[in-house]
Order: sequence, then structure tokens, then C-alpha cells
Amino acid sequence: MTIQNLQQLKDLQKKVTTEKKKFHKKVIVCCGTGCLANGAKAILDEFKSVLSKKKIRNFAVEAVTETGCHGFCEQGPLVAIEPEGTFYTKVKPKDVADIIEESIRGDKVIERLLYTNPATTEKTESYRNIPFFSHQQRIALRNVGNIAAHDIKEYIAVGGYQALYKALTKMTPDEIIEEITKSGLRGRGGGGFPAGRKWRTCADVESDVRYVICNADEGDPGAFMDRSIMEGDPHGVLEGMMIAAFAVGAHMGYIYVREEYPLAVRNIKAAIEQCEEFGLMGDDILGTGFSFHIRIARGAGAFVCGESSALMKSVAGEIGEPRAKYVRSVVKGLYDKPTVLNNVETFINVPLIIGKGSKWFAAIGTPKSTGTKVFSLVGKVRNTGLIEVPMGTTVREIIYDIGGGILDDRPFKAVQTGGPSGGCLPESKLDLPVDFDSLTEAGSMMGSGGMIVMDDKTCMVDVAKYFLSFLVDESCGKCVPCREGLYQLHKLVVKVSEGRGEEGDLEKMEKLSKSIVMGSLCGLGTSGPNPLLSTIRYFRDEYLEHIRDKKCRAGVCRELITYRVNEKCTGCLACISACAYHAITGKKKEVHVIDQDKCTKCGACVAVCKQDAIDVF
Amino acid sequence: MVTLTINGKLVQAEEGEMLLAVIERQNIDIPSTCNHKAVEPYGACRLCTVEITHPKWPGWKKHVTSCLYPVEEGLVVSTHAPEVIELRKTLLDLMLARSPKAKLVQDMAAEYGVTRTSYEEVPDGNDCILCGLCVRVCDQMGFHAISAVGRGHGKEIAPPLDEPPPDCVGCLACAQICPTNFIKYTDAGNKRTIWGKEFELIACERTGQPTITKEFAEYLSKHRDIPEEYFKRNDLTHRRELAATMGKISQWQREEEE
Amino acid sequence: MKQEFDKIPEIISKHRQDPESMIMILQDIQREYHYLPKEALEKTAAALDIPLSKVYSASTFYKTFSLVPRGKNEIRVCVGTACHIRGSKLILEQLENMLDIKAGQTTKDMEYTLESVACVGACAMAPLVVVNDKYHGSVKVSGCKKLLRNK
Repeated sequence: MTIQNLQQLKDLQKKVTTEKKKFHKKVIVCCGTGCLANGAKAILDEFKSVLSKKKIRNFAVEAVTETGCHGFCEQGPLVAIEPEGTFYTKVKPKDVADIIEESIRGDKVIERLLYTNPATTEKTESYRNIPFFSHQQRIALRNVGNIAAHDIKEYIAVGGYQALYKALTKMTPDEIIEEITKSGLRGRGGGGFPAGRKWRTCADVESDVRYVICNADEGDPGAFMDRSIMEGDPHGVLEGMMIAAFAVGAHMGYIYVREEYPLAVRNIKAAIEQCEEFGLMGDDILGTGFSFHIRIARGAGAFVCGESSALMKSVAGEIGEPRAKYVRSVVKGLYDKPTVLNNVETFINVPLIIGKGSKWFAAIGTPKSTGTKVFSLVGKVRNTGLIEVPMGTTVREIIYDIGGGILDDRPFKAVQTGGPSGGCLPESKLDLPVDFDSLTEAGSMMGSGGMIVMDDKTCMVDVAKYFLSFLVDESCGKCVPCREGLYQLHKLVVKVSEGRGEEGDLEKMEKLSKSIVMGSLCGLGTSGPNPLLSTIRYFRDEYLEHIRDKKCRAGVCRELITYRVNEKCTGCLACISACAYHAITGKKKEVHVIDQDKCTKCGACVAVCKQDAIDVF
Repeated sequence: MVTLTINGKLVQAEEGEMLLAVIERQNIDIPSTCNHKAVEPYGACRLCTVEITHPKWPGWKKHVTSCLYPVEEGLVVSTHAPEVIELRKTLLDLMLARSPKAKLVQDMAAEYGVTRTSYEEVPDGNDCILCGLCVRVCDQMGFHAISAVGRGHGKEIAPPLDEPPPDCVGCLACAQICPTNFIKYTDAGNKRTIWGKEFELIACERTGQPTITKEFAEYLSKHRDIPEEYFKRNDLTHRRELAATMGKISQWQREEEE
Repeated sequence: MKQEFDKIPEIISKHRQDPESMIMILQDIQREYHYLPKEALEKTAAALDIPLSKVYSASTFYKTFSLVPRGKNEIRVCVGTACHIRGSKLILEQLENMLDIKAGQTTKDMEYTLESVACVGACAMAPLVVVNDKYHGSVKVSGCKKLLRNK
């Protein structure tokens, strides 16, 4: 059916919501990539098969809803029952029959599947009361985890595309740009550039052709915000792009998705097709005469293609080598035409700003960083997952109140934010508010929202080495400071981590970093030394320990540690079979011995030992 | 016309010009390796970086590659600011680590006081400084025979699949533009070999000297309307013919006057 | 016997004949043949009117492409930051030792290709290993053997 006007849109919304009213319960199965990795598909299939067989008398159950990521990945697979909000964690296919019997036909909760607070051992029935969720404010993630992502009718049922209608029929492009500007929305991909100002510049360039591109490359390792939004609310992204296109005068859009996100690509593709079917995308959107088409472009494994000029080259079928941006891509972008490039999370906020008004959005967060931000909270934290909080929330609140503190109660050491362009923040910075500017001042940056928590068993020299090795691998190789500079910088850090560091190496690395920052052609290079510089800034002693004492206090750098079996060993042979280098000997029930000559310090033995019988020196 | 300041001196430039051209006109010497009049600027080596500021910019400055930065009214440029010198030193130091034997790099580095690299020499380093000029000029010529292969530190310039490039016509533009003479070719008799591909050279009918490859001549005839016949005489022979023709013309003029 | 790659023209024809389709065409061909044979590059270049050298350049620039045949089973170990912090280096090493190859290589019997990938976006389930499009989260050292059996 083609929707021609607001009335038809509202009628469809009414129709779907009325249909939904006749269901007493709704079963939601989280099908984000994380839960899918844990077997969510089998659970979904089991629900579908059992529900189709059982006739549930006296009330109806809505068809099982396959949603995007709830964000509570540590506890997955997740199943939620509405309207109660009953939340089941670590569900297995064999639990499905019980869930249907107790919580769908009946009104009981299954205690053993409820979330248990590890600190208090309290069980919580509804997800709305779980601290992980109750501390969040889900705006960008409003639909993720609630609606079936692949069904446009579900999106329309929650009011979808009404903001688009308002924009196309009740507002002028200038008014739209004004609203976005007043809302204070800043780019969520890491740059934090004011979106309204970007759109204004694009609209002001004399041109008959303009483009709107959605950057869904999400190259930062440790980040999966964009993936979850695209999998869970693809229509929200499309609506945001369409409003942007109308505002700047573009009729062609692209979504550049990384190849490693097959489910996101599938859902976005299906969403575009549905939009076209319903007249919400094409040559005459909602009967207003506005035409807009979106094409999907795929990444193919290049972090540098997250950079705007490289991304545009990649879209055009070339290699992703960035260019000097003295003439910005908003003025001369794809095919040298004015182009608005924004991140997935930036676009998902747009329909709400248009629908609810800039004032509403600007009231959330802080004056200079309005709205919320989605973070991927991962690493050595108890509740790893995807969260959304208002800007200005402190790092401490995120890691402790929402994240549940450090895994195994180990001491907190640092949190890495901003991906490979960011830096580490130590304990002394835990009370920093998370926003664009505070983190940058402290030597890190918010970036796209990756937050990697580290404990005392993390070596900061190893962290710097890791990031530099990543960047050396991802450098496009065009400019000397990045290609040669980061390579040599990496070599120097390796030298330090392997115990070959010399007096003066830190100064050498700092000096080289300065040139890389000053001379590099694009952001990959100019921000490349950040992880190294921030870890030196806050953990200089640790570096000096590696250099002067040849010691790695976290027990990570292989050349500087020794593994020895202690008296707790029960002789279970586990480490012997795990050791790929045949470095451990010992008979059953006898204390095992590690041959230091053969031992490569890989740590496999420690990983499998259940007796805590291997010490690191 | 645009007025800007370079090293304290007021200079004029055309709208749309890049800083490097203006700087060079002032006989100020700044190094650059990836820039060449024959192709568009690329901004890869970063050696031509300069420090710029503007009265309208409240107390801050930028470092930009002058080959790609367009002139602006009122811009204040410093080509040898201390930070820029430091940067160039480091860049040349890094380039020496990859191409220690390349004379161009050695000479440029020496000018900045760097005689040997302070970094670890790159294994498999060679004289290719990855300036990209060869690929750019090949693209400009319209052949697109070679390209960048791989990325990052392992990047190199090569023909497709490391086989003799099907699109190469042996015009030698790449070898001629290469600033370190890394691209080699051999002309032996009437055969030319470059990038592992063999070409037949057209010989001048008068002197027997090679002119250009048969493939290049075919291309020029097809796409540039230059008849293949033209290349059957080398430059010297063309000049002799022209001289003979000029001689004949002046003879007729003399005969007419008499 | 030289392998025929006759599906290539069909794959190419499914896309817009435009340089914008280059990456997607190469990805589809690779999905079919588990690598990019020379013919894939040549035919794509011809169909989209892109120089062969540029298609070749792209096939070496983008790391998901392989110009050498890959094994029947693709094992991708995520080495993103979250996975690194949770021990992915060790998992990769264990798999390297079990298969007797290094990351980026294929076993002699062409059964397995082992690769590291920068991030698959399931960071909360670190460390991740993807075996033939199936995601395995929270992989432990003791679970590596099972990964190879569980294709």
C-alpha cells in the first residue's frame, strides 16, 4: 500500500495498535548479534514452534517478536514478556516450554531465570527495576529491543514516519536546520561536530546535486552501538536520513555499512524495500513530490574508511585513501558534490528532535553536549553491554551503577574511551562527566562510544602496543608520518614491552608522536599516538618499570614474566593438555612443573587452571 | 588577486593558486617529493608543510601542506618556523629508515642535518618512497597500468597481479617522473622492457635510433590523431627535415626577390 | 584441470553496472568461490569500465578479500579491543597451534582458514570466534577444540 498523507499513516498506526491490543501478552526474544552468538535463534525457533502447536485459550499471544539488541549482553540470551516487563536471562531452548506454561498461559515468574544482582543476590522480576536498565535513558535506543526491526508496521505503530511527514509538509528546510541547530545535536560518530551547522553549510553551497551519507562503518573495535541501532531500528535511521535530505536538498543517499555486520545489512536492506513499497521512499514521498533514494554501500575491511573522504572514495568504487580536507567534504564530498555525512546514532536522534522539538532534546544532557549517548560498556566489567545515558553522567556511575563494578571485584585500573583515537582514564578521573569536551581535556575523547574497562591485570604498555599495532595495520599508507611514523612508534613500544627499553625511549616516543600529530594527513594519523600518550601521561611509572626494572606489574608482557606452579596444584593435568608447547610435565595427582626453557608465557595454563595454582612473577 | 604574507613579506597571488607555487616564486626553498607540475598535488610526503595563521584566527595556527592549501586573503605563512623544521627533520629521518640508499632522500635529509636514520631500518626497504607520482602520471596519461598494492607499511607499486601490465604501452612516463630513479627499464636494440613487459620499439628510418614503442604509437594515433608515420623518424631527423624545409623556403624567397 | 568460474558474469549482472558496485560484486564472487580468482578481477573491471589495475588495487587494499583460495571452513578470531582485554590473543594462539598454521593462512588440506578480524561488533561477548558465519561468544581456552569440531 502506498501512504499518501498523514491520515493514512495514522490510520495504519491505529490499525496495527488496535490489532496489538487484542493480545494479552507479548514475547520478545532478543536477537542482537550477541544473543544470537549465544543461541538465541534456537530459542526463537522453539517459541515459534511451541506456540504454533499449543492453542492458548482465552487470550492470544502476539507472534513472537524478534528484536534488536537489549544491550544486556552479559546476561543473554534474553527473553522479555510484556506488559509486565518480566525479564528472563541466560535462557536455554529447554526453558521455553516452562516460560510458556508459567508466564504466558499463567501469570507466574520463573525464579531461576530472573536476573540476580551479584552484589545483593536479589532477584528482579521486571527489567524496568534492574539497575542496568533503570539508570539509562533510552532515546536513540527507544525502539531497539521493543519492536520487530524488520517490520515497517511495527515502526509505524510506535509513531514512525510522522516526524518525516511533519518535516515534509509543515516545515521548511530552513526551519528543520534551525531546529536541529537549536537542539545542540553534535555528531555521534566521534567528531562531535554540530549537526545543524554541517547541514547549513551543505545547504548553502550552490549545487544541483547533494548527497546524504550515513556512516555505519563503526570501525572502532569494542564499539557496537551502530550495529545494534541498525539491526534493531533501521527505520529510525532511514527516517533521520530522509529528514536530513529534505533539509539540505539531497535526493540520493547512501548507507556505508561494514562488511562484518551481515544482519545489519539485511535489516537495512529490507527496511529500504519496505519503505519503497509503502511510498515512504522514492520519487514522490508521501505525495509531497520530494524524491529520495538510498543505496547501500559495503565496507570491506578498512578502518580508515570511517574517515569521511576515504568513505566517499570507497562509495565511489575506489580505494579508501583520504585526502587533505582543506576544502571540507560538506562542500566538496562524494563526486565533488556537497555531502552531509553523519553517523547512525546522529540520524536516529533526528526524528525525535523534529517530532518532540529542539527544546525537549536540549534539556537533556549538558548545555554543550545535549541529548544522550549510547556506549558499549565492555572489558573487565560485570555487566558488559550496550547502554544509553544522558550526557554529563559520570564515568563512575556508568562503570559502577550500571556496569555493576569490576569483574571478580578486582581493582579498577583504567577505562579506555574513544577507540584507537582515544585514550585511557585512570581512577582519579572516574568522576569526570562524560561529554564531548571533558574527556578531550583529560587526554582522551568520547569518540563513538566505546568504553573498555580495565583492571589491575591489564598492562598499559600492552594496551598502547595493541592500539598501535591496530593502527599500523589499518593505515592506508599514503602519508609518511602515519605510515612510517606509527610503524616506528609501534616498534619502540614493542621494544619497551619486551624488556629492551632504554633510558630516553619515552622521550623519543613523545617526540615522534608530536611529529605524527602535526604532520599526518587524516585523523587516523593525527590521533594515532593518543592511546600511547594518554597511557604515558597517567601511567608513566609503569612504563619506567618496564624500561628500568624490566618488570611488568600486571603480569602481561611475556618477556618480563615467569609462570610457576605453586603448592595449590592438585595434579589435574588440565594445564598439561592446554600447553601447546609441551612445557609442563607431571603425573596425575602430582604437582606439575613448568619448564622455563620451553615456556612461551602464553598464559594458556593460567586460563584453564581451576585451582589458582599458577603464579605470575 | 590575493595578498598574503610569506615569511614576513607581502606577496600577491592568483585566486585559486596553491601556497607552494607562490612560495617557490619567492625563491624560498622548501622540500617536497610527491609534488610535480605534470600531475595534481597529492599531499603524501608532508615535507612541504608550512605554518599558517590569520589575523582573524584568535591566537591559533595550523600546519598544512602548501601543495594543497589554496591562498587566502590576509594569510600569514611561515615556511621555516621551528616546529616545521622539526617536522621536516623527522619526516626525512623516517624516509631514510625506509630508503637509506636513495640519493634524493640522503641529500634532502643532509640539508636538514640528518645523515642517518635514528630509527630501525625497515626490512625490505628500497628506493621507492611511495610518493605515488608514477601511478598518478600513468593515470593522467590514460593508461592506468600500475597501481598501489596493499596498504600501510607493506604498500608498494606494482602491475596487476604482479604480471606484465596489459594496459602499459611503454611510454616511460613513470620512469621519468620517479624522483629516486627506482623504476628501471631497459632499451636493448629494438626491444624495451619495463614492468616485466616487452615492447617493440619503432626505429627511425633514417638513423635507426628507437623513437617510441609500437604500442604507444598505436595509442597516440588512435586517441590523439598523431599518425604512426610520425614516429618513424626520431627527433633529430624531424629537425633535419624541418631545417631542410626552412632552407628551401628561404631559397624560394630569395629567388622571388631576385 | 583449470577451474571454470562461469558464475561470475551472472553475479556481476545482478548489480548496477557502475563503479559503485565494485566492492559488492567482488564480495559476492568471493562468497561463491571462497576467493577472488584473476577472472573475477578481469571481468569486474571490464563490466564496470574500471581499469584492471584499480580493481586489483582494491582487492589488496580491503582486507576481507583474498586472492588465494581459502579453506572450506573460515575461522575468524576477533581481536578487537574488548576481545583483546578478555584474552583473544591466547585464543588465536591456541587455534594457530591446533591447526599448525598462522593467522592469515590455510591448512594444507584446505579444510581451515584462520584469520584475525578487527571487530565483529559483539563486544560484550568477548572473546569472539566466528566459524563460518556462526558466532561463538565468551570462548575459553578449553573450548577451542570444540570450535573446530562444531562447524
